[in-house]
Amino acid sequence: MSATERMTRPAAASVPLPGGAPQQYRRRRTRQIGWAFVAPFGILFALVFIVPITYAAYLSLFQDRMVGGPSFVGLANYTKLFGDAQFWDGVSRVVSFTLVQVPIMLVLALVLALAMDSMRLRGMRFMRVAIFLPYAVPAIVSTLMWGFMLGVRYGLFGSINGWLGTDLDPFRPSTTLISIGIMVTWAFTGYNMLIFDSVLKAVPQELYEAAAIDGAGELRVIRAIKLPALRGSLVITVIFSIIGTFQIFNEPQILPSMVANSGITTYYTPNLYAFNLAFTGSQQGYAAALALVMAAFTIAIAYAVQIRGMRDALDQ
Amino acid sequence: MRLLTKAWTVGVALVTAGALTACSGAGGTTASAGGGSADQPVKLTVWSWDGTVELAVPGFEKANPGIEVEVVNAGSSSDEYQALDNAIQAGSGVPDLVMFEYFAVPYFAVPGKLADLGPLGATELADDYVPSAWNNVVMGDGVYALPSDFGPAVMFWNEATFAEAGIDEAPTTWDEYYEDAKKIRALGDDYYITQDTNDLFFLLSLIWQAGGRPFEVDGTTVHIDFSAPETRKAVAFWQKMIDEDLVNTKISAWSDDWNRALNDGTLASQNMGGWLTSTLPERAPDAAGDFRVALMPQWDEGEKVGAENGGSSFGIPEAAANKEAAYKFLEYFTHGEGLQPRVDAGAFVPNRSVLDSPEFQDVENPYFGDQKTGQVLAEASNIAAVGWQYPPFFEWARSTYGDIATPFYTSGKGSLAEVLQTWEQRSVEYGNEQGFQVD
Repeated sequence: MSATERMTRPAAASVPLPGGAPQQYRRRRTRQIGWAFVAPFGILFALVFIVPITYAAYLSLFQDRMVGGPSFVGLANYTKLFGDAQFWDGVSRVVSFTLVQVPIMLVLALVLALAMDSMRLRGMRFMRVAIFLPYAVPAIVSTLMWGFMLGVRYGLFGSINGWLGTDLDPFRPSTTLISIGIMVTWAFTGYNMLIFDSVLKAVPQELYEAAAIDGAGELRVIRAIKLPALRGSLVITVIFSIIGTFQIFNEPQILPSMVANSGITTYYTPNLYAFNLAFTGSQQGYAAALALVMAAFTIAIAYAVQIRGMRDALDQ
Repeated sequence: MRLLTKAWTVGVALVTAGALTACSGAGGTTASAGGGSADQPVKLTVWSWDGTVELAVPGFEKANPGIEVEVVNAGSSSDEYQALDNAIQAGSGVPDLVMFEYFAVPYFAVPGKLADLGPLGATELADDYVPSAWNNVVMGDGVYALPSDFGPAVMFWNEATFAEAGIDEAPTTWDEYYEDAKKIRALGDDYYITQDTNDLFFLLSLIWQAGGRPFEVDGTTVHIDFSAPETRKAVAFWQKMIDEDLVNTKISAWSDDWNRALNDGTLASQNMGGWLTSTLPERAPDAAGDFRVALMPQWDEGEKVGAENGGSSFGIPEAAANKEAAYKFLEYFTHGEGLQPRVDAGAFVPNRSVLDSPEFQDVENPYFGDQKTGQVLAEASNIAAVGWQYPPFFEWARSTYGDIATPFYTSGKGSLAEVLQTWEQRSVEYGNEQGFQVD
């Protein structure tokens, strides 16, 4: 690159061409080089993101039939989806799940991160890894594990019921969602805690020193320094969590094979519904429409949260 | 950081390149398999989750030098059907022989995805199979698969638990079964004659045995009806069993709980396919010597009518490259010399030549208290009633059944009859959407 510049520069200097053509030429070259740098990402992005989504959008305009094959139906899949009670059942389930689980998990992560940062605990490194570790356990393994732990007949809850003479069942249709919430919280609290923890670590030491000189106590420091510092990362974790909970799939997919009558249907979450539509119902077009609508829905909510979060941050 | 990014980019590039070569590699093998000519050896790909099929390969390759067979496990049941659908849609990687549960045969045969084996010689084999098994693979004038294993509905009953309840014989009628259920229930909180958490195939086998034929299929025309008196009789009986708390609705089959309850004898019996004979010893090793096999109880005393619960077959996709070679192997392991090694390894097949043989009937099974289980299984196979059909969209229907039936099993509200009615409505709707004429 430096060689080419050395060649173009004297030319531009010695021959004053009208219209500043060499300048433009150089700018174009620079721009092209920029593209070359973006290319590795761009190509991958196109391959694994844009192409599949475009293909899904294309598929969603067709109806698959076992007799007669696929036929173009325009937007019929979308109109059908908006009138599909099973779809809305799944959507309302994940929305209410998100409303309850995400705040609980984030508050828990926040408290843990603040506790870590208070410097008053022993064995912090161990704690940090131990709390983060569930995130590294594959969801399938953790679901199996929790399935045994919460199982009534021979699991932990079976023993608890035996000792206390109670009749608790974590996998009744009315309680299954709570159990899934516990599994998800267990898995992701450490991850969120780590994000908060790293942000707190980046707070300049001088701020604390200034606070100490001003005579601020620990709670005051949390309120005036730590929480404001965490605001930006809070927005990020909320967005990640919403995206995550909207896509719940592993738990409801695996649980029915472990526990009977947990109330998990083939349309328990929108993701599970899309999977079952595509793979057992051979309705790929309809499943594609569902996936796209859910994607749009998720993006819209994540975007709203982001704008809201940014505005609040600016107000500060 | 920058170094990391660079390493990442290189890594991604390598992975992508690897994936691309892997893809082209797979494409290459398919192409060569498709182009197998007379002088080149033909390579057959078989998709099977039945481990015994592999045992027939050495003998077959020896007898047919020009043909190589590769048996691949492409997943069980739904996973495999999905893979096959994908391969057919993509037009590449279609295997030459594929395993299907009986109910999945129409799903592939009706839209023309399976080859008719009649012209290849399958029609002549009809007499070797028990009527009900053959009935599963024939549609209209075509034969679309050959039966490879069979699930005559039989009753596995725990003699020790029954004895505890004061019963010394297996119930021969459903009325007796009901009385026995009450006695076993009286043994204690955990004791039940059986369990059921929306087991569709059991309910269908009950209806099947009672003479109900809820599905009638003729090409793309399907008729669904759960209101026939025979069907209603079977459903009402099971409803009574559930209503009176004689069936455990908390333990689902194949779960860990199920294994334990079979082991400790609190689940006193199972009405299931004959194939359970080979898996029960693994599921309930502690109950060795306690279980016995009997015919399923009858609706009328002195009758002998059976039904099916499960079983599978092998078919040749219409898009397969080597149909004739594939049929040769299919015939070899489902009917010819390849059958015996499979039977020896525990495969339960519906071939009369096997079922009626003294080697099969006279073997004492130590797990079942040295009972000659082969005799019961052979009889159950021979009496399995014919005329049952599955709709082509049964794969979808069975997954929906769980959604509809679960609320009934968990809350006890509603009834099995209502569940079946809703199921019928949904199936009619779905079938019509899929281009069938369903009513």
